[in-house]
Amino acid sequence: MISDRMTSNLKQTFKESFLPKIGLVLLLAIILMAIFAPLLATHDPTRTGHYADTGSPYPPMGHSYETQIAQDGDIVDIEVHPTSEHILGTNNVGQDVFSRFVYGARVSLLVALLGTALALVIGVPVGLVAGYYGGRIDDTLMRSADIMLAFPGLVLAMALVGVFGSTPIQVPDPIVMAGFAEGMPESIPIPGSVTVVAGLVIWVWFARVARGEALSLRNQEYVKASKSFGMPNRRILTKHILPNSLTPIIVLATIQVAAVILLEASLAYLGFSGTTLSWGYEIERGQDLLRTRPWISMFPGVGIMLTVIAVNLLGDWFRDALDPNIEGDERGV
Amino acid sequence: MSETILEIDDLSTQFFTSEGKVNAVHGFDLELERGEVFGIVGESGSGKSVTALSLMDLVESPGRITSGSVGYRNPSFAENMRTSYPDAVDGDLVDLRAIPEDARRSLRGTAFSMIFQDPESSFNPSLTVGEQIAEAVEVQQRATAMPRSGRAKTRGPEYSLGSYLMSMALPSKRYVTESSRARAIELLETVGIPDPAQRADEYPHEYSGGMLQRAMIAQALASEPDVLIADEPTTALDVTIQAQILDLLNELQAETGMTILLITHNLGVVARMCDRVGVMYAGEIVERGTLEDVFDDTVHPYTKGLLGSVPDLEGTADRLQAISGNVPSLLDHEMGDRCYFADRCPKAMDTCLEKPRSFDVDADGRHSVTCYLAEENYDPDRALEEGRFASEGAVSDVGGDSQ
Amino acid sequence: MAMRQFLVRRLLQGILVIWGVVTVLFGLRAVSPGDPATLMLGEGANRELVERVREEEGLNEPIYVQYLDYVGGLLQGDLGYSWQSNRDVTAMVIERIPATIELTIAATIVAIVIAIPLGVVSATRRNEPSDYGATLFSLLGISTPNFWLGLMLILVMSVWFGIPYPTMSTAAVPVGAVRIPYPSHIGYDFYGFPTGRRGVGFPDAMRALVYDQSVSELGAWLRYITLPALTLGTYFTALITRLTRSGMIDELGKPYVTATKAKGLPNPLIRYKHVLRNTMIPIITVLGLQMGTLMGGAVITETVFNWPGLGLRLVDALRIRDWPLMQGIIIFIAFAFIVINIVVDALYTKLNPQVSAE
Repeated sequence: MISDRMTSNLKQTFKESFLPKIGLVLLLAIILMAIFAPLLATHDPTRTGHYADTGSPYPPMGHSYETQIAQDGDIVDIEVHPTSEHILGTNNVGQDVFSRFVYGARVSLLVALLGTALALVIGVPVGLVAGYYGGRIDDTLMRSADIMLAFPGLVLAMALVGVFGSTPIQVPDPIVMAGFAEGMPESIPIPGSVTVVAGLVIWVWFARVARGEALSLRNQEYVKASKSFGMPNRRILTKHILPNSLTPIIVLATIQVAAVILLEASLAYLGFSGTTLSWGYEIERGQDLLRTRPWISMFPGVGIMLTVIAVNLLGDWFRDALDPNIEGDERGV
Repeated sequence: MSETILEIDDLSTQFFTSEGKVNAVHGFDLELERGEVFGIVGESGSGKSVTALSLMDLVESPGRITSGSVGYRNPSFAENMRTSYPDAVDGDLVDLRAIPEDARRSLRGTAFSMIFQDPESSFNPSLTVGEQIAEAVEVQQRATAMPRSGRAKTRGPEYSLGSYLMSMALPSKRYVTESSRARAIELLETVGIPDPAQRADEYPHEYSGGMLQRAMIAQALASEPDVLIADEPTTALDVTIQAQILDLLNELQAETGMTILLITHNLGVVARMCDRVGVMYAGEIVERGTLEDVFDDTVHPYTKGLLGSVPDLEGTADRLQAISGNVPSLLDHEMGDRCYFADRCPKAMDTCLEKPRSFDVDADGRHSVTCYLAEENYDPDRALEEGRFASEGAVSDVGGDSQ
Repeated sequence: MAMRQFLVRRLLQGILVIWGVVTVLFGLRAVSPGDPATLMLGEGANRELVERVREEEGLNEPIYVQYLDYVGGLLQGDLGYSWQSNRDVTAMVIERIPATIELTIAATIVAIVIAIPLGVVSATRRNEPSDYGATLFSLLGISTPNFWLGLMLILVMSVWFGIPYPTMSTAAVPVGAVRIPYPSHIGYDFYGFPTGRRGVGFPDAMRALVYDQSVSELGAWLRYITLPALTLGTYFTALITRLTRSGMIDELGKPYVTATKAKGLPNPLIRYKHVLRNTMIPIITVLGLQMGTLMGGAVITETVFNWPGLGLRLVDALRIRDWPLMQGIIIFIAFAFIVINIVVDALYTKLNPQVSAE
């Protein structure tokens, strides 16, 4: 249960140390960037060009060979060094690296939050029930958890994406729809299967922790007392066991958000995520140009790193303040 | 008066916490005579354990020994120190606070050793008991084999990370030698552990609490110490086992003639073991003397309170006298300059607002007390009104928390 | 005696888990879209041919017969044939094992050699600059995606310091010229890629060292493995540093440490024989569980550096949905994970007398 003592511990730790402050500010900045991406982006992040047969051996006037023609006929400069127009340059298909950096935060955070939420929804009830009832339910859970753990998270995720396919879901962008930003894509592609897969890969870690908590809580006096009063098991689970297992679950959730961000980036890097609007994909895109156009790969990586640092700092803060009994870094991926 | 072995003067240990400086021990004076058993008794939070750690130089951050001297009388040690640190040496007496840390630390496990309150947590759970005692033997044997040269400062460390890494590769380079192991088994036998050769290879969790405390005494004896500091040696044990452990300590003390500083909150233990006793309150000794002086000829109201809180089997007292109030705040800025017991004292007078010095009760100077009642009689007309200190808000249970 | 019982129990559990992994994979394969025969022969293949392949491969049999066939084959060490290359999967797995083992062991060594001293320094000099440095390093290390780190290492080494890394194209692309697309990894020739061996394997390098007294092979091996090992090892270095630091701080606060100091034991002995040893006992278990992360990391690292190990082959197999190959590799990885964890548990039991007594 999130008691007053925990809140005051959180405040105390926050006040005393420097790192949680950085983490919170950083994370807020990234979240705001993700929400207001259409307002911050300087170009349409999805607008690409293609090599056009102009019939002339020379590039259009005022442009170099590194130009492509966009769908609307405009000329798009590819692989432009950072300039005032493109503050982080453009990539190999002429997209603005900065705008894609800004939009990348959306995909990264959405997948991480939804994936972790899914894992919570699956893992916590399963773990609590297994730990509380024990016996055969528990054995079955623990054995299947062992099986899940024997797959490296990334490998399992790749296999599952292979099964589910990787169709992105187009989510309409409310800010663009409301007319606040012009020239921005009306919807952004969220890699739906990656989100589901992330949830399926990490739920077992929540189940393990929830089980451990339920296992120790079921022997507490007040639980035994409630049982002797004839309180139904279901009520005991929701009223006593769940609220008192929340602390380690919250801390674990923070760790797993960081893990899912990295998982999504890895899948996108390997080309398994189904969307190209992703920091991980962007890194892959710039890989061949690393020698001459390092910015294409460099900035998306900085984005991933900063987000994960922010989440980890928050996780450390929760861990220090709430002091849950989580052993080591239980990162599932 | 026989020869003193330790002369502690004005020792203060403070803890630097976020709430302020905490005076865990301050202005602590004590003279230990060779071969005696001296008891320090007091409530929890009175600074007894910190005193023990201060003497062993084991105070950890945020705590620090801030002033005072600890004189240790040992002719050969004094001889060794004389050339390098002439200022620290006075005859046979070496001021341990005036010599460098590593010289001071070389006395741990050779001249001083310590027994801790909770034997179960004071042994490393993942090494055998025999191995741990053998380590203590080894410390002592290496110190005897290689007496400290006068140039203590220029000597390199005896045992480095390199030597440890070497010992992992070559069993012959291990720190603990076979002869130390054999000695460890002997020591286990001395403290009354049956089947010592076999039990030496067992781990702490395979021992019972009483057995483990015996093993800890064996470990302390391995040093052949001049001074043994026993910090609540029986508190964690069952009553029947407590008596066995105390008897063992008594026997061993009689055999080896070592000096024991016994720290306890239990007056029964003091009565059973000690020649002299000091009553500690708020970081200082408020009354000291022989057992008879302090128990039968009590002056300080705090000592009276402590004695009154012991259940009397003969039933002379109608009920247990508890001392009202809490241990005072030890925060430096809240302590002020008065008698720290005044706010709990049934006989506090206006003079008590000024800090009393130590008064001698008897002419021979062996019984002294830090209380004006040693000089004058209680006068109810000059009594401090009730709640005199509570109103200041200074008296809180912060002192208890800060320990 | 207790140890043997423990091992037997763990082995049985491990077999159960492997069976579970096999079953899960088989189930995934059964529900995955796409007809295997078509995948094998390619789109637009002769319908008769497809039907013949289906018949030969037993794909027309009921699903449980296929399952029993597959498990039966596994029990004889037969992982089937790759749909793409029609090669024996067992051979395709085995030939890639050495490269992956070299990489993971090198990364683990990097991690342990850097992390434990760093953690010890950090814990024993709390709130000093070295502690802040170690904390910052470990925060960055656990937060950096390793594929990006690999690329940045290549960038720093090859571009800024002018030390070309074998996988990178060293042909400069003149600014303003039409870029000719080239394969993403130029370095096949260095590795002898088609046979699945590194240009220089560790055994070859050692052989050259012993028989020809030639260090150049070893040098080449080191040059190939350094960046991948650093890339894969960084997360683990950071993780172990964190665990060592926090574990050691906890451990240093325990009463037995004070008691050990009171004995007068030399500091290195207190710090390493007593405190560090006890700190490592729980860390070992965490690391066993994290082996999955290490192997996932190896997949990515091998892709970045074109390192011809199992991970690279797995990614290739997944891309073209070559199920038998992919199943074979994943089963092997799961098997390795379980074996490592049994070893770790045995080690834990040996180091922690409180467990072994039970």
